[in-house]
Amino acid sequence: MVAAEEIIGSRIKRREDPRLITGEAKYLEDIQLPGLLHAAILRSPHAHAKIKKIDISKAAKHPGVIAVYTGKDFADVNPMPCAWQAGKVKNNVNTPRVLEIDRVTFTGAGVAVVIAEDRYTAQDALELIHVDYEVLPAVVDAEKATKAGAPQLHENAPSNIALEWTCGTQESTDRALKEADVVVKQRMLNQRLIPTPMETRGCIAQYQAATEEWTVWMTSQAPHVMRLLMTAFVFGVPETKMRVISPQVGGGFGAKIFLYPEYCLMVALSRKIGRPVKWMETRSENYIATTHGRDHITEIEVGAKKDGTITALKVNTYANLGGVLSTIAPGIPTTLYGRMLSGTYRIPNIFCHVYGVYTNTGMVDAYRGAGRPEATYVIERAVDLVAHELGLDPVAIRRKNFIPPDAFPYDPVILNGLKYDSGEYAKALDLALKMLGYESFRKEQAEARKQGRYLGVGFSSYVEICGVAPSAWIGLPGEGWGAGLWESANVRVHLTGKVVVTTGSQSHGQGHETSVAQVVAGELGIAVDDVIVQHSDTLGTPFGYGTYGSRSTAVGTVAVYNSLQKIKEKAKLLGAHMLEAAPEDVVFEDGKVFVKGSPDQSKTIQEIAGAAALAYSLPPGMEPFLDNTSYYDPPNCTFPFGTHICVVEVDKESGEVKIKRYIAIDDVGKVINPMIVEGQVHGGIVQGVAQALWEGAVYDDNGQLLTGSLMDYAIPKADFFPTFETDRTETPTPVNPLGVKGAGETGTIASTPAVVNAIVDALSPFGVKHIDMPVTPPKIWRILQGHGG
Amino acid sequence: MELTGSHTFEADQQTVWTLLMDPEAIAKAIPGVKELIPIEGEEMTWRAAAKVGFAALSGHYAGIIKMSEVEAPNQYRLTVNGEGQQSVISGTALIKLTYHPEKNETLVSWDAEANISGKLASLGQRLIGAGANVMSKQFFHELAKQLPTQ
Repeated sequence: MVAAEEIIGSRIKRREDPRLITGEAKYLEDIQLPGLLHAAILRSPHAHAKIKKIDISKAAKHPGVIAVYTGKDFADVNPMPCAWQAGKVKNNVNTPRVLEIDRVTFTGAGVAVVIAEDRYTAQDALELIHVDYEVLPAVVDAEKATKAGAPQLHENAPSNIALEWTCGTQESTDRALKEADVVVKQRMLNQRLIPTPMETRGCIAQYQAATEEWTVWMTSQAPHVMRLLMTAFVFGVPETKMRVISPQVGGGFGAKIFLYPEYCLMVALSRKIGRPVKWMETRSENYIATTHGRDHITEIEVGAKKDGTITALKVNTYANLGGVLSTIAPGIPTTLYGRMLSGTYRIPNIFCHVYGVYTNTGMVDAYRGAGRPEATYVIERAVDLVAHELGLDPVAIRRKNFIPPDAFPYDPVILNGLKYDSGEYAKALDLALKMLGYESFRKEQAEARKQGRYLGVGFSSYVEICGVAPSAWIGLPGEGWGAGLWESANVRVHLTGKVVVTTGSQSHGQGHETSVAQVVAGELGIAVDDVIVQHSDTLGTPFGYGTYGSRSTAVGTVAVYNSLQKIKEKAKLLGAHMLEAAPEDVVFEDGKVFVKGSPDQSKTIQEIAGAAALAYSLPPGMEPFLDNTSYYDPPNCTFPFGTHICVVEVDKESGEVKIKRYIAIDDVGKVINPMIVEGQVHGGIVQGVAQALWEGAVYDDNGQLLTGSLMDYAIPKADFFPTFETDRTETPTPVNPLGVKGAGETGTIASTPAVVNAIVDALSPFGVKHIDMPVTPPKIWRILQGHGG
Repeated sequence: MELTGSHTFEADQQTVWTLLMDPEAIAKAIPGVKELIPIEGEEMTWRAAAKVGFAALSGHYAGIIKMSEVEAPNQYRLTVNGEGQQSVISGTALIKLTYHPEKNETLVSWDAEANISGKLASLGQRLIGAGANVMSKQFFHELAKQLPTQ
């Protein structure tokens, strides 16, 4: 067994893995209930259309069909709420209904539902529904959608603009650009991505008429928030009337944060029909009806002095939000994007202008990294463009502009009052360069070029924002989030000394049951196996906002830690009582309470927990049991950082990119379990590299998703990658007592520009300065053949 | 989506033209179609129902077929509007006949433009392209079988 003080920070294998590997874990699809019915949803084949008439008569008569409904049957159910609207500006909000009633604004919007005894019958009956549509012209490009003459999607959103938002100051930025020695301009696309979790979405709702209570199982990253939104905003019932359970959830990457119409539809159906109803998304549905990520069109202007000092950054972005707004869509291209555009650099003048735009495409919302990958891509490309313009080394220009260690806490001004907590950016860069062997690489590159081989190296020195919380900052008056963002935990030390932790946070692959247990074990001096971590069920866990924005450890686990401190305090009082010592004379170490300097005479946490539970000899006024609940609202977010380096070779004949080396130095603060952090970093890199090289959702001009299956949407496979070379620097955050920052998204945020920068470096002999993603072989081949990007 | 193709019939142009204008022969040749039902009051317009059994395109379809721009025996336009598989398919094809007297063969070539919305559109152009190819081959093969024996 690992010694107590070493448990936090040790590579313990994930406790959840045996049940996952052996197939014993219960996912939504595994849940069976007596009398369970199955729903199938008819989706609009048109991207933009009026619904004139729906004929359900044939489908309703189909054998095995229990009921068929259209949007009109749910006219009394409120549309989905948009919980995060862009701060301090007007948001022209349009959100989906459980089923659309008279109009659809994207291909895949639900218009009717069939409920049948089995899912195949339900699917078959969909074919028997006839919908009379009046097809309207569609627009899929966010920039074109704002121009005169474009089809208008919503009456309340002139020029299809859902929101117009800015940060920074335009005047000083324009002035600095005018005074700069060089100004580099570039248009860049951050293409739309489809999250593709292994498990698609699903929901089962069961209604008990006698008590008017629901139990809802759903594939959600935030069960408490789902319950709140459904009860308070959609159905108008007390939240105590609903229990929401996230069973084992097979990945989410952000796409499972949101309140989707299908979930509310199941809730409504279970009440209407009086039997439990299940909907499990097909992969095709997942591609058209689950949220997508990214999709920005951006123009940048960067001003710099001759020596490479960056003086100004001006960014104009059209963020495509889809046909209707998803739950937190407006917050992503505003707070989580614009406010992070300074990156790791001291940039005195920044101005960012964002249009959030409606188009006839699927909804866009948070996808792993959510706004920060887009911001990091802009700034890390911008730095390289300036270096190229001035003939500077990409490493030198980064070093020159880095925020120095003594400048922390650093205020990048555009963060609306928050400050970067801590950072040693050059240290991470130095370590990465050492692993690469930068000088020898440049020699190798020069040699290779002589032989007609094109090697390139790309850097990404990123910073991101994690542990998204401070309620006073992110809440309604500031950044527009319609709630607080604290987390909670309950720690209970049972009579035998076994500990049960309940957390409002949710785990869908992050390994909370291991890392939270490590913190408990380390703090209380007990075995990891003596800790049970309960989560993902609104019954029996305290309220929590869920898992996203790399906040479970930096916010959720800190709540656990705070409860542990209070439990240790009580244990000391009781231990002192048991030892007949004065409370101020005892210490709690390695799971024991003893008088300072006399560890031989001690009371173990198990003995103390037993005494607290039996309670026949407690100090006067002490309540029985070791039990504590904490609510933690941090004073600041956390800001992980690091440097990623990608080395590529571009094949001149085929245009193919081969990743030769991938180096990742991440500083995520203190690490609770390095193996879990590495797993997160690996997965993140894979998704980020995939954006650079392969992935991309494509709609045709009519709003039809052409990449609607895994045949046409290229997700990466393991053999696309070399072995990742990872390491860490560790700069604890002063924000929380654990010193943890967050590690769930760093890989996705850092890797994309590293790859593109490497390709541009490899192609620099051909005069390439920028190339849009995904950088596929045909794109490179055309450049090499002299036909332009 | 654009689709082009051609098929060579071992027959003279008038024979092939007559065949192409015969709704009964066409109904027999379209995979899965039982009959073409003329729509009253509309010229050269038929209602059709088809059962397709090709990979991801499998399922029932219903639609309206219309012939126009008829220039006997050289060319005509075929317009199809159909739905099925939670998808809407509309297409128009210009069909041309060219006679090669030296071989007594007639080449029928088509230039089609199809618009597909919904589930089928998302399945990927190459599947649909391949499916359309297989089905048009089947169609002409079946149609050729109905040429009068000489």
